[in-house]
Amino acid sequence: MYRDAILKKFDPRLDNILFILHELQDNNPQHYLANADIEKCADYLNIPYSYVHGVVTFYSMFSLKPRGRYIIRLCDSPPCHLMGSESLLDYLKKKLKVDVGKTTADGVFTLEITSCLGICGVAPALMMNEEMIGNLTPERVDTVLEERRQTS
Amino acid sequence: MTKEKTIQITIDNKTIDARPNQTILQAAREYQIYIPSLCAMEHLSSYGACRLCVVEVDGLRGFPTSCTTPVEEGMVIRTDTAEVKGLRQEVLKLLLSEHPASCLFCTEQDECKQYMGTIRKVGATTGCRYCPNDHRCELQQIAENIGLTETSYPVYYRNFPVEKYDPFYDRDYNLCILCGRCVRVCNNVRLNGTLSFKQRGRVTTIGPAFDRSHIDAGCEFCGACVTACPTGALSVKVSKWYGRPEGQVATTCNYCSAGCRLILQTTKTDVIDALPDYDSAVEHGIICVKGRFGITEYVHSPLRYGTPKEMTPAGYNDISWEEAIAKAAGKLSGLKPDDCLIVVSPQLLTEDLFVAQQFIRQVTGSEEVASSFIFDLDGDAASFINLALASEPFETIEKAQGILAVGFDSTYGYSPIGVKAKQAAQAGASLMSLNSFESNLDLLSKIAFVVNSSRWADVLDLTMSRMSKGKAEKRFADLVEMWGSDLNKTCETFSCSSHNVLIVGPGIIDSPDRGKILRSIERMKNEYSWKVVVAHQYTNLAGMFAMGACPGIKPGEMIKEASADKAVVLKAELIHIDLRKKRKLIYLIGDASFDSLPECEFLIYQNALPPQCSRQPDLILPVSLFTEASGTVISAEGRVLQVKEAVAPYMDSKPDWWILKSIAEKMGKGKMKFNDVSSIQGEIKKIIKGFPAVKKRIEFKEIEVKGNVKTHGKGKPAAWKSSYRGIPLGEVVSGIKVIELKGG
Repeated sequence: MYRDAILKKFDPRLDNILFILHELQDNNPQHYLANADIEKCADYLNIPYSYVHGVVTFYSMFSLKPRGRYIIRLCDSPPCHLMGSESLLDYLKKKLKVDVGKTTADGVFTLEITSCLGICGVAPALMMNEEMIGNLTPERVDTVLEERRQTS
Repeated sequence: MTKEKTIQITIDNKTIDARPNQTILQAAREYQIYIPSLCAMEHLSSYGACRLCVVEVDGLRGFPTSCTTPVEEGMVIRTDTAEVKGLRQEVLKLLLSEHPASCLFCTEQDECKQYMGTIRKVGATTGCRYCPNDHRCELQQIAENIGLTETSYPVYYRNFPVEKYDPFYDRDYNLCILCGRCVRVCNNVRLNGTLSFKQRGRVTTIGPAFDRSHIDAGCEFCGACVTACPTGALSVKVSKWYGRPEGQVATTCNYCSAGCRLILQTTKTDVIDALPDYDSAVEHGIICVKGRFGITEYVHSPLRYGTPKEMTPAGYNDISWEEAIAKAAGKLSGLKPDDCLIVVSPQLLTEDLFVAQQFIRQVTGSEEVASSFIFDLDGDAASFINLALASEPFETIEKAQGILAVGFDSTYGYSPIGVKAKQAAQAGASLMSLNSFESNLDLLSKIAFVVNSSRWADVLDLTMSRMSKGKAEKRFADLVEMWGSDLNKTCETFSCSSHNVLIVGPGIIDSPDRGKILRSIERMKNEYSWKVVVAHQYTNLAGMFAMGACPGIKPGEMIKEASADKAVVLKAELIHIDLRKKRKLIYLIGDASFDSLPECEFLIYQNALPPQCSRQPDLILPVSLFTEASGTVISAEGRVLQVKEAVAPYMDSKPDWWILKSIAEKMGKGKMKFNDVSSIQGEIKKIIKGFPAVKKRIEFKEIEVKGNVKTHGKGKPAAWKSSYRGIPLGEVVSGIKVIELKGG
């Protein structure tokens, strides 16, 4: 079980809860916290399920719903907005045929919105899982999506 | 005794003495200075959520909340300036913007208060639909105190569906103000952790993980959250039909041997609710589902007997008490002691037990004071009783370094013991749990053995052998394979510690191998000096032995006065009750163990509810239950606890002692001239000094059995799972049936 391996990396102390949950979410093939993840974490830390569930729902970076293999987080802070992130969002929605917060039918992409990513110099920008991609145009978005689709 | 250091503070120009570590709110409350507050509760840690308790403090910026600000020397505090008042009004308006508050501004509020016409009792069109209107709403009270009569914010109704799918209480989170009392009491006081805040901000709700129902999420239905709720968000299913309580009576729960104090809420004729008492020295308010929610439905069951009844070929006939007493006396007259069997329940009050044993000895001339616990425990009765009567007080668990719980689970009972064990485990004690199913202690246990009870003795023996670093025997091989390394570590702490506690639960009584288990427990106690705490369902077992309501034991004979007192020697044939021999008459006093009884010609049944069996009693004598009678019980800890009459006896029912005394009088036998409970207590005073106001815990001598006890061989014990007077609670209390079905 990959989950046990993750848990072993941390001491069973309550202050590790966020690290554990992040690692569990990142390693879940569907990038979310399944009930099994929450239960594992709670059992490991000897705390009630409701506590962990409360923590997970409190932070917006955790998801309780399955997400795509790639999570696209498009920045909508002012610099990116000025550089056209709004029309890029429309383009992405149309291209992926999903709304914000939703996952494509093939389970490859999830479209999300984020606040400033700190790379305003290359606005408009998005984050694809852990990777930053700037200077976006509809063409560049096409290439990036195509590349990911190929590798998946 | 050194005098405690005090801190002088000034609240509203009044100088008062506060103690260090107190908050401003606590100090103010001690001096009856009113500061409104919704989220602070006496036994809960400070939280600072509702912001209603804001005050002005000289030298502190802004308006600190008094529930989170500790007192300091020379602090000058003002609680009622115009600014503070205005701020509180504003805070309350914000709170009410998400809480239906028509009760404050409705033109019909006076009528509503008077008639309590809500959706709960009348049609939807005639009443206000928003809350239970049970007059326990602290929010209403505070709105009145703060003097809020209007609100300037639009009202936002969250429109959550009312959650009614769990037993015992309903939840309407539209009324919730997110004060967090329920979450804190569930997590920090009960150490259960069913409830938690979910989401954040505007969409915050309260509930278990994964939106499960409470029953699936491991809720113990202790009702602490319902008691803590300051609004009508949580309401008790049964109680809400009765409206507002008119009085309250503090009494002792009779459902098990723990002896928790209950504050019964009453109307003129009914007990409508039972609340915990957080100031009680026994359980500190940690009561279980049986006491909290199991009483109203039991004592007001529609099946209760209201008048004496006599079996006729055409069914039961109601008869008067004179006829019933005469009938019973007639049947009992002229019988040889061997011809009749009288069974006394260990769940009677001490006074009733005293009269019962006198009745048996003086009227029938028999020494056979039978009881269901003897049937249940069969040949192991004496060793169980020695263990149970020597049970250590619950606070022994608090400072334990090692705890081993055998056959013990506190989900739906024995909460004071279970919570103490959990507290100790959280404070660092090594807890080991041994049960045939997953118990609620497992989460905090170092090792949780889930094995069939036939192996419990092995686990105990293995623990002892590890503690003394002995070699593992072959019979332990599979246990060692599964738990070996953990067990070594835990036994290490056990053997280093001088304060280990063994908690013995009711699971061992049901086990067919209880003899073996009891012997292992005795060894742990005697050879390894473990302290033993016993939890069992025979409420007044200690009272039975103090009163001598047991074969071969005279009243008072078992009470230990000096530590050098010798064991009471009992002949084995005395505690053997022949359950195969046909009797002429069987008389059940508060007992209903029909499965174990031999055949008989005439059956007198003295109880409150019909038995669950095919053998119909020939004469039914209706008794008043513990909510309708006064007296005492002696708890597992040896405390003499008061039971107080909360409401008048149901219809024509009478206390057990009255019935027994009347029969004896009619027969002209015995010396039972009792007019009331206090005259019986006067008799008992001769045995126990100062009774019933006994402060000291009662200690018992051991029983030493001479010879081999013949087993009655009536198979396994009757289903004792949380029953009162032989009637399983699950048969009478609908919610208990639900939780027991879930437990399997």
